[in-house]
Amino acid sequence: MNDWTLRLPDGAELAGPVVDLRDADTSPRAVRRAIRGGCPTRPDRPAVHAPPPTCVHSHVGYLHPNVSIDRRAALAAVGAARGVDTPHDAEFDRVRTSLRELSVPTVDDAELRAARRRAAEAGSETDRLRERVAALRGRVAAHRDDGDDDAVAAAEASLSEATRRLSEASTERVAATQRLKALEERARRARDSREKRFRLGDRVGNLRRARRAVLADLVEPDVREARTRLESWVDDRAIEIDGGLRDALAIATTAPLRAPVVVDPEVVAGLGGPDAAFEWLSAPLAIG
Amino acid sequence: MLLVVTYSRRARETLRNACRSHEETVVRRFGRAALLRETEYGAFLTCRLRERHAGDVQIERTEPFNEFADAPDAVREAAVAYERRDSPYTPYDRFAAGTDHPDAAEMRGREL
Repeated sequence: MNDWTLRLPDGAELAGPVVDLRDADTSPRAVRRAIRGGCPTRPDRPAVHAPPPTCVHSHVGYLHPNVSIDRRAALAAVGAARGVDTPHDAEFDRVRTSLRELSVPTVDDAELRAARRRAAEAGSETDRLRERVAALRGRVAAHRDDGDDDAVAAAEASLSEATRRLSEASTERVAATQRLKALEERARRARDSREKRFRLGDRVGNLRRARRAVLADLVEPDVREARTRLESWVDDRAIEIDGGLRDALAIATTAPLRAPVVVDPEVVAGLGGPDAAFEWLSAPLAIG
Repeated sequence: MLLVVTYSRRARETLRNACRSHEETVVRRFGRAALLRETEYGAFLTCRLRERHAGDVQIERTEPFNEFADAPDAVREAAVAYERRDSPYTPYDRFAAGTDHPDAAEMRGREL
């Protein structure tokens, strides 16, 4: 079940469980990418035929001397890959489904912005014209007091023009205000759905953390045991293995890994060679 | 004041950061919402939030509520009378029945 195949751009095929990339004409980095990406790949890139990686892979898919992992997240990933149930699963699925099915009415922000601008402009235009009409009325009255008929006529013409424009502007103001009100009302209704989406999103986040905590706790004893075994093995042989790598190896040996794991040659040597590494991890391996 | 309410996690985060770095402009903070001072800088912050998060941010301009100007006399008087009622366990509808005080359902249906 740990068989897998690496096909190189030149057509060469290497078959696992253990493939040594040091002999192959490709980089470990390209192989890691191919494991993550699966098939098909570009013809100039290596391709991997193997089961797809699980979420554990993102933590321990590449084991090298300086590996550092988020231990709790990796433990939770092992629990998830093992298919362990938690008391939060049902609710998590339910809330996530509600979140997915929730439709939030779209509000055209550009339209709303344009309506706000139009209402504001119509308002200030009306105010400006109202002041102008008042000023012109005053001017008409003043000219009339002076008995200057020509000036009265001119001022009256301006006044009637300004009054006409004020009436137009007032109509525009009413229309713009109503339009804005209607759009704001729609936005307000849309906010109720946004509010719901927001709360559901928070709930999903909390449940996800709760599930992770349960999964990590469940897996913790197995990983600790694996680490103890690993430590007695390496200590017996006086092998130097960093703490982060010890955690990563313990987690990798506990996890059901079906996609190939890329292991640095130094780590393979530390574990006692390819066969021992394969034994430890019981997973398809690429050494490189 | 300027009331800012956020409707997404990213908008909430931006608001939190803004409140942290501009305490002088913040009147009050409530989780995902905040009241900002009505200064040009308050407007500057709200415009930035709207620019970045569009519909995920609601911005309202608040005004002090004057019950003598903003609420009908009957409503204000009903509230005062109800708060001074003898029995704290009387629900409003029973309290208002048979009096001149407005009906709760009627009040719900009428805009201010």
